[in-house]
Amino acid sequence: MSILPQQNELGFYEIRLESIGGLGANLAGKMLAEAGVTGSGLNGSNFSSYGSEKKGSPVKSFVRFCDSQVEIRDHSPIEQPHVVGVFHEALYKTIDVISGLRPGGTVLVNTARDLYEVAADLNMTQGTLAAIDALRIAVEEKTKVNTAMLGALFRICSFLNPDDMRQVIRKTFEKKLPHLVEANLRTFDRGYNEVQFLTLENPAALMSQAAFSRPQPLLGYETQEPGGILTVTANSVLKDLSGSRQGYLPQYKMEDCIHCAACDTVCPDFCIVWEQKPDKRGNPQMFMKGIDYQYCKGCLKCVEACPTTALAAMLEEAQYAEQHRVPQSFPYITAEGVRS
Amino acid sequence: MNVQIKETTEEQVPVMAAQQAVFESGNEMAAMAAAQINYHIMGYFPITPSTEIAQYLDMMRTRGEHDIKLIPADGEHGSAGICYGAAAAGARVFNATSANGFLYMIEQLPVQAGTRFPMVMNLVTRAVSGPLDIRGDHSDLYYGLNTGWVILTARSPQAVYDMNIMALRIAEHEDVRLPVIVAYDGFFTSHQKRRVQIFTDRDTVRDFVGEQPEFPHVLDENKPIVVGAYMNGEDLMNNHFQQSNAMYRAGEVFKEVAEEYAALSGRSYSPLDLYRMEDAEVALFLLNSAAESSKDVVDRLRAQGIKAGVISPNIIRPFPAKEIREALAGVKALLVGERADSYGAEGANLTHEVKAALQEIRGPQPIVLSRIFGLGGKDFYADDAEAFFALTLEAMELGYAKVPFDYYGQTPGNEAQKLQPVIAPMNGDSFKSGLITVKVDEATSKLSVKVPPMRALAAKPKRFASGHGACPGCGIFPGLELFFKGIEGNVVTLFHTGCAYITTTGYPYNSHKQSFIHNLFQNGPATLSGTVEAFLERKRRGEIEVPEDFTFVMVTGDGGMDIGMGSAIGTALRGHNLIILEYDNEGYMNTGAQLSYSTPLGHMTSTSGVGKQQQGKPFHHKDTVQMMAAAHIPYVFTGTEAFPQDLVKKAAKAQWYAQNVGTVYGKLLITCPLNWKSDDKEGENIVRAAVNSCFFPLYEVEQGQTNITYDPDGKNKRVALGDWLKYMGKSRHLLKEENKELLGEFEREVERRWSILKAKHENPLL
Repeated sequence: MSILPQQNELGFYEIRLESIGGLGANLAGKMLAEAGVTGSGLNGSNFSSYGSEKKGSPVKSFVRFCDSQVEIRDHSPIEQPHVVGVFHEALYKTIDVISGLRPGGTVLVNTARDLYEVAADLNMTQGTLAAIDALRIAVEEKTKVNTAMLGALFRICSFLNPDDMRQVIRKTFEKKLPHLVEANLRTFDRGYNEVQFLTLENPAALMSQAAFSRPQPLLGYETQEPGGILTVTANSVLKDLSGSRQGYLPQYKMEDCIHCAACDTVCPDFCIVWEQKPDKRGNPQMFMKGIDYQYCKGCLKCVEACPTTALAAMLEEAQYAEQHRVPQSFPYITAEGVRS
Repeated sequence: MNVQIKETTEEQVPVMAAQQAVFESGNEMAAMAAAQINYHIMGYFPITPSTEIAQYLDMMRTRGEHDIKLIPADGEHGSAGICYGAAAAGARVFNATSANGFLYMIEQLPVQAGTRFPMVMNLVTRAVSGPLDIRGDHSDLYYGLNTGWVILTARSPQAVYDMNIMALRIAEHEDVRLPVIVAYDGFFTSHQKRRVQIFTDRDTVRDFVGEQPEFPHVLDENKPIVVGAYMNGEDLMNNHFQQSNAMYRAGEVFKEVAEEYAALSGRSYSPLDLYRMEDAEVALFLLNSAAESSKDVVDRLRAQGIKAGVISPNIIRPFPAKEIREALAGVKALLVGERADSYGAEGANLTHEVKAALQEIRGPQPIVLSRIFGLGGKDFYADDAEAFFALTLEAMELGYAKVPFDYYGQTPGNEAQKLQPVIAPMNGDSFKSGLITVKVDEATSKLSVKVPPMRALAAKPKRFASGHGACPGCGIFPGLELFFKGIEGNVVTLFHTGCAYITTTGYPYNSHKQSFIHNLFQNGPATLSGTVEAFLERKRRGEIEVPEDFTFVMVTGDGGMDIGMGSAIGTALRGHNLIILEYDNEGYMNTGAQLSYSTPLGHMTSTSGVGKQQQGKPFHHKDTVQMMAAAHIPYVFTGTEAFPQDLVKKAAKAQWYAQNVGTVYGKLLITCPLNWKSDDKEGENIVRAAVNSCFFPLYEVEQGQTNITYDPDGKNKRVALGDWLKYMGKSRHLLKEENKELLGEFEREVERRWSILKAKHENPLL
């Protein structure tokens, strides 16, 4: 009798973690898989989506579990998972995180929000939604989001033994960073204990699986310029990188600003927006207008560089960035012509 | 559900040597086997996805788990040279590479084989550029087919481990004496973690590979030898005939070694891995991981009564033609799926080798279809294998292949999604602020530059667009952007491979506002030399009319001045009108933070670990600025974001010299928070401390004369080296009591270089 609650036709119980580089989903996936294979006697595999993405880009980590005697030959990404773990809510904007979720599957989300709101945002009609405020736990314990997420994932994967993970945490930190052992154990336990569940029972939708589609490239062999040449420049301005922030953003107080551009020269993402206005004597001068939060990755170098109190670190609140964003202005090209 | 057919777990098969299960990836297994064998030498150079092998070996070495001497080469050509030299000296030698790294070393490989020095190299297969793609296909491997190396192919992390152990035995067999490649799929096998059985005791492995046989080598004072004597065709024929025979014997030796290994491990490898082929009517011939994935589909088709099978070689050099004929004798239709093309050949290399093998069948032969699939690491799903089988079933039914050769998995795209311009194109006028003036001072004949406050320069548009994919707090972009603030008008940039390139060009997006070229890691300066000369020549012929010349800027970093040093020196000596701008992040940060020559002494990287046996990088950082100055180019400078006015002025001078005199070189020290293990927000403080500690002096060498542009001593800003090192996790260990001596050595070197610089500053002839 298998300890796995569900298995697909190949015998796998599959978990997909949706995250942003730097949040530690890769490591969480590895630890989860290792606990199953070395601790609970399962067979398993673990891998991540690979590209040249840097910290701050969307990443996926995959875990397959099966019974010990089952051979794992499948190398492909998990498309129809039993469990999805979402490490950052900003991912919804660009990715269908619950794509292919199996009937009765579980979605774990790192969120401080109301479960029903999250379910609505995810278009989730069936299965179980699990929520954990991993960011708050990590900020309070001065640890990482992924440890709290792991705690919650162990609760969901009840066939795994949380003591195996506690052991791993102890081993990982004991030697080099012994002062972090207790905080990390607490983070894991809080993730395990504080996760909340909401079962969605829509009888009509109960047996249906979340639709999934394989992402297709934007361009094909009929629409790619030969040789991969790009004839369009600077189109990365279309991207939204706000998901790279891990809790903090710079807050701008114009009344304290001396417009010295110290922030502008250190910003890696060119988020400081300027405008030309007459100064007190009527001469044209540059003034800092605000911050384009669409590209701000929350490094806070600008706050460090600011010689006054015009820029300060702030724990990001929902909607703050959207409401306070000062968009960059370029001469944009639209269907109607050039718009500045 | 598929239940293992080959039983490999301990409880099911009695094994002779003790083994234990670990949960590791293919790269970890290659490193594990190498560590257990305890090779003498590994010469290596980082390239994704093979680099982890050197990293794991460095980690194990730091813990004292093997004695392999790991030598960080200046490029793959160099790494292959190191390996060859060590093999000629009678050492057991190991290497690992991928893709363009393999191609860069390729001229060395037939030398290794033709002069008959055994060694083992892991080829972690990846797409060859261009365009650049870091994921797995077999386009690199196919270039290796004619090098004279034995090639084993490993489908799983388990096979990577096993074949690495068998490989050395085959290489060193007296009937063979050839180098061996173990090839496995980048990412699919190199990075996926699986349950793997390894020998508990490394002596089991050492006993299996045995004592090294005595081949001639250059270190026997009583038996001097000459390696690599010149030959004419008459002799070369005979040499290669010997080599050819040795290669065929390697096929037989493979079987012997595999049999012996099976007795030891319980895992057997024959030249061909045959899955349900006994009575198969339709089959797929696939290399490596895709073959594994297809087995699940075979089970499904078998359940439907379709006689399907998969055939996958464990060795492709020598090519197991006889075994293939035997295995395919009863098959009606076969599809050879290949993760690489031999453009224009109506099928890639293995298609033709399989077809050639089948031609010798007397009587009916299988119909052979050929499909190119999964290039650049495009995933291979179960339904792809189903589609392949559907093609074979159709051919079996028809009695012929409707389309014998094709690509599989390409997508036409949608006209509506065609790329549309987003911002209005920006030309030289967009970047002409008019705020910067450069004049030749008649008294000194040097340049005098005026730049306004940074506030006024905020009016100048940025050269790079937001939305690039760099890490939070990345120092590359503030560094580059500040430099370009000092450059007026049109630019053409070339970035060679590295973080700045990768993060600004993820297809189909880019963060460049003017024309941009990427080229290979080692070849940027040479490439831009060609571009600038083409510009000048086309301008001379009246084909291009511009009010002012373009400024050509070649951007390098991530160790690009190691592998690209030759190209940079050549460009400087020829004196082309261009700027070589290096962002120095003190390592190969783009491939996972391996040491580069600019990594300072004692700093921790993924190939210079900190632990019992070593304390970070064992040698001092490269002084690239002085090397380039020694090429006697008109202008050389250093800069950082922490001193913006200083950098903007130098950029303006750089532009003038590049346009009016010749080659300019500049180095920007930039923070890499991810790999320096520093707080994102500290980037500017770190590079400022690097300047104030005199580790990174701000200076210029203008027309051969050194000018320190900011003197921390004179400004009373000098800080101890430790005040810089304390910011970074990669260097904090240097402040510990037990590393006092190492820190002292580092401090002395910094002071020595600073003192020389001051002497040069004071004396125009130095």
